[in-house]
Amino acid sequence: MNPGIDLQGSFVRALIDLGLPSGVAKTVWLPLPMLLMLVVATVSIFICVWLERKISAGAQQRIGPEYVGPIGALQAVADGVKLIFKADITPAKSDPWLFAIGPAIVVIPVFLSFLIVPFGQNLVITDLGIGIFLWIALSSIAPIGFLMAGYSSNNKYSLLGGLRAAAQSISYEIPLALSVLAVVLMTNGLSTIDIVNQQSGYGFLGWNIWRQPVGFVIFWISALAECERLPFDLPEAEEELVAGYQTEYTGMKFGLFYVGSYVNLMLSALIVSVLYLGGWSFPIPVETITGLLGVSESAPVVQLLSASLGIVMTLIKAYLLVFLTILLRWTVPRVRIDQLLDLGWKFLLPVSLVNLLLTAGLKLTFPFAFGG
Amino acid sequence: MNLAEGVQFVSLVILGGLMIFSALGVVLLSNIVYSAFLLALTFISVSGLYILLNAGFVAAAQVLVYVGAVNVLILFGIMLVNKVEVFSEVKNAWVGKAATGAVCAGLFGLIGTMVTSHPWAISTAPAAGDKAIEVIGQHFFSDFLLPFELASILLLVALVGAIVLARREFLPDLVAPQQEALTLPERPRELVAAGVRDED
Amino acid sequence: MLNFLKQVGDYAKETAQAAKFIGQGLSVTFDHMKRRPVTVQYPYEKLIPSERYRGRIHFEFDKCISCEVCVRVCPINLPVVDWEFNRETKKKTLNHYSIDFGVCIFCGNCVEYCPTNCLSMTEEYELASYDRHNLNYDNVALGRLPYKVTNDPMVTPMREFGYLPKGVMDPHDLPAGTQRAGRLPKDILAELETQKAKEDAKKASVEAAE
Repeated sequence: MNPGIDLQGSFVRALIDLGLPSGVAKTVWLPLPMLLMLVVATVSIFICVWLERKISAGAQQRIGPEYVGPIGALQAVADGVKLIFKADITPAKSDPWLFAIGPAIVVIPVFLSFLIVPFGQNLVITDLGIGIFLWIALSSIAPIGFLMAGYSSNNKYSLLGGLRAAAQSISYEIPLALSVLAVVLMTNGLSTIDIVNQQSGYGFLGWNIWRQPVGFVIFWISALAECERLPFDLPEAEEELVAGYQTEYTGMKFGLFYVGSYVNLMLSALIVSVLYLGGWSFPIPVETITGLLGVSESAPVVQLLSASLGIVMTLIKAYLLVFLTILLRWTVPRVRIDQLLDLGWKFLLPVSLVNLLLTAGLKLTFPFAFGG
Repeated sequence: MNLAEGVQFVSLVILGGLMIFSALGVVLLSNIVYSAFLLALTFISVSGLYILLNAGFVAAAQVLVYVGAVNVLILFGIMLVNKVEVFSEVKNAWVGKAATGAVCAGLFGLIGTMVTSHPWAISTAPAAGDKAIEVIGQHFFSDFLLPFELASILLLVALVGAIVLARREFLPDLVAPQQEALTLPERPRELVAAGVRDED
Repeated sequence: MLNFLKQVGDYAKETAQAAKFIGQGLSVTFDHMKRRPVTVQYPYEKLIPSERYRGRIHFEFDKCISCEVCVRVCPINLPVVDWEFNRETKKKTLNHYSIDFGVCIFCGNCVEYCPTNCLSMTEEYELASYDRHNLNYDNVALGRLPYKVTNDPMVTPMREFGYLPKGVMDPHDLPAGTQRAGRLPKDILAELETQKAKEDAKKASVEAAE
């Protein structure tokens, strides 16, 4: 297997060569990928917001943002600046502490989950053994934030929205986890790196989407519900609940919910591309291309190129999925709360269980194709 | 003490303090919603302690099960119950309090003797690290098979019970019919044997 | 058992159908993305109102004979006509006239029935103000002429949909001198006139022959 570029190793070695002790060198390295990931996540908000506005406009024959920055790319920055300068109002008789903590609890786990998103063989903050399980665990914290925000707002719509959000989150977590489990069953490991490596080899034919089509659809539906994207945006259903748990929020606290939802969308798209679309792998394996061109795989230029190709591929796949969600947003009407729970408990849960059983059976029968 | 150990020590102190104070808050605060939220904090600091012990899987499972499921359900229960009861003096309330105190003291004594009697010898075997999941799985399906299966049967029973409760169809037009003890208002419904369905 | 399998099959069929319909919906939405935007960037570009546009009402004070027909035909008796009877000339003299555009529905009845044509519709539609009482226009405000969009140097005037050539949806970057679909009224009029002239000539020649 191609080891790829080891940024950490080379960075630490360079610092040691400069005369630093190895412990200090590693400590200096530690915050760098985290900071980079924070920046990537924050920039992804701007890209997502821009895409959302532009694609929505395209679907409705409008132009969308045009004047803020080149082709309206800085619209999200303008929105953010506006939110920062707005008055931060705490409603009367609300619970100021819970009111302030709620949005933070929604946002922090989403950012933490970026720990396990890989962009290349070594381009990941930590290759945890529990990998994808960490994401599932962290995404289960968000409902507490919704409940907190809904409860503390002293508003019946907020409370209802918070309860709905939490109910939706916990009911779609189960099919989500079960479809992840089917992928994990084929990988023999929870690590995101292992999941991608198991799919590489046959180019796009080896991607999990061919072996787990049902799992892919279930995962995508559940991820949309977890992100509270349309058609599952019931917690903020404006016709019924004003804006759900966000009703009483203003300024940057409201902005945090906004940030959380867009980063969560991006994160879900990245995870889908890792789980089902081969992560950073190019549709034609890089090994085949280098073999055809007669270039050594370990040449530094080739390694650099394949690493950047990996990052670009991951992002392209993720943004394609974001595009699909936005298209879905303008196609499918919002479901009712009973339809939502019906879909979650009576359709997705049994189907994902059957999918898991089938995967286990296929794994035993065809170990070469379904990961022995 | 090198840097890593220092970080570990500081995290241990912070997590331990958080856990103790939030647990005290769960018990002592009069607002039940605060107690529930602080319970989540307690669980999260416990999971932090697991991470310090190199048990990543257990930590994540702790967050998923206790914070993501149990605590959310507790919060749901608190927020959906809307019953305001007037405080009324209970006769001989001290009996209950005394009984609670006795049980708590007994539990404390039990745990205390366990703490003092346990050898607390640190295992010399290397930590499983990322392989911990496999070790846990092997234990589940060999020497801990019985408790594992018992737990799943318990969950199945709870699931069936929840379905039975949820499937009940209330009769809104009947005004408080005379009930026998331990029955719930329910539309009479003939039981259909599983697997056999009448033609329709 | 067979019944159960049939149920499962039906359910699967329904699911497949639902998926198919969602796919159709997605393709429709995707198809819309290929269409060009029809946006008019409003404060910088404005549509030219059509000839029969019913905008703010214009009022000519001197033509008014205070007959109050406008008040009678108005669905809500909106125009306020303040006049006095002049005993010497035995005519009404108008003191004030006002229409509240916060209440007016721009139906155009007053314009239609005004015997002296002192009321007329303009193409002005930008009446927004911070106070609804500012919408109560008196005879001075009603007498102001609207600013034409085509004369405004800040604004790029755009043709409305009905004034575009056949098959063109986008009013932007039209080549100069393009005509709208169909014939212009003046062309029709000119043709009618030539036809009439021809007929007249024919009639004249026939008469001459007799």
